[in-house]
Amino acid sequence: MGRTWSSMDDFEAFLNDGGMVEVDDDMPDEYRTAVFRFIELHANSELMGGLTERDWIPMTPGLRHKMAVLAKSQDEIGHGHLLYMVAADLGVKTRREMLEDLFAGRSRFHNVFHYKVRTWGDQVAICLLVDGAAVPSQKAVYKDCSYGPYKRILKRILAEEGFHLRLGEERVLRIAEGTDAQRAMFQQSIDDWWWPALRLFGPDSKPNDRLARWRLKSEKNEVMRAGWVQKFVPMLHSYGFTIPDPGLTHDAQTDTWTCGPIDWEPLKRTMAMDGPDTARRIAEASAAWETTRWVRDALDAAPAGAVA
Amino acid sequence: MSAMTVDATLTNAALAAVATVDDPEIPGVSIVDLGLLETITTTDDGRVTIGLIPTFSGCPALAMIASDVEAAVVGVQGVEAVTVNWLAAPVWNIERVTNKARKTMATDLTVAVRIGDGPTPCPRCGTPTVEQSEFGPSRCRAVHRCESCREVIEVMRDR
Repeated sequence: MGRTWSSMDDFEAFLNDGGMVEVDDDMPDEYRTAVFRFIELHANSELMGGLTERDWIPMTPGLRHKMAVLAKSQDEIGHGHLLYMVAADLGVKTRREMLEDLFAGRSRFHNVFHYKVRTWGDQVAICLLVDGAAVPSQKAVYKDCSYGPYKRILKRILAEEGFHLRLGEERVLRIAEGTDAQRAMFQQSIDDWWWPALRLFGPDSKPNDRLARWRLKSEKNEVMRAGWVQKFVPMLHSYGFTIPDPGLTHDAQTDTWTCGPIDWEPLKRTMAMDGPDTARRIAEASAAWETTRWVRDALDAAPAGAVA
Repeated sequence: MSAMTVDATLTNAALAAVATVDDPEIPGVSIVDLGLLETITTTDDGRVTIGLIPTFSGCPALAMIASDVEAAVVGVQGVEAVTVNWLAAPVWNIERVTNKARKTMATDLTVAVRIGDGPTPCPRCGTPTVEQSEFGPSRCRAVHRCESCREVIEVMRDR
């Protein structure tokens, strides 16, 4: 049996000393719920991302990239699977309840999965800009994460996301060396995905954020966002692409790029489940769940040991 | 692994370079320790030919691994040219994974390695784990759960 704490102060002192919480511990309900919501959001996002990746398997150009998209799709769904197991262990909702809530539009997933992926250029931009935002965010959670089961899964997820980032960089190089039409397609994708990817970090962190106090976040949103801008502006400029931010500034002394004012309205709309592609995405995820029902039924009906 | 060579020093240097290449999805674990290296030959004029085998033929990391190996070996003193081939035989199996790699995967990544049909011990507490799903995030991994410490673990296996 796990450990218990007499009060929230006692528990926070334990976290403050670098303590790790494990699944059998009698953690405070507020912490349990916060960890659960955090992992559920991550799991939902992996599943929604993996389904979009799947849509692109037949449309991906070339066998090599097609294999990569196949694998990335399996990776994301696999991450969702592991995360749903870890989330369900917290006892707040079962895995089935989480999926039902997702398909009914009652639970959230990250803003970037509320937009329509129109072209291969979009896929490349997502692999670069969205994964390039998701990975540092996950790294910042992993770094000091107080919930042991999540931290250990994150380590494996990050190892695989590093592989996806390399694939993204390879795809960008290829498209940057492409024809005028391919470069124009990619410029349009940068224009469409730059802001959604930037908003993935969220608004500036509030002082005394309890997620930071409970060691579910170790870096401020604005710091991660600034690092992302600093990485991708020079990279895309060097390939001859432009950034769709008229307020973008460059400090020549420190060689630092800073983005202009950020419109948070689109983020609010996606959080209210009212993004440009939200309804279609949820309907498609729900349909995928329904059409695979026979597989689950068959597995449930098989005697133990018959399916292995 | 067989090393047919005329220059043992160059072969050893090339081998050491190959061993610095980690699996793109398993940082800290060398492809040599995963059992991917099958042959390495060198010639007097510095040409190195490396034969690798994939964990499964549809693995999407093959091109990346080959280019990482080439980049590592081309920097070795005395090497003039590097050729990396993916071999169709032998077929990779889980017993090719060294104890060193098994230990790193267990302690750093809570990934277990399953040999044959025997039970797979939990990398955290040693209790035999129970398979939850035949496939995890990769074709070469299943998802298990430890019923003692409740850890969700991935299990590398060869079927």
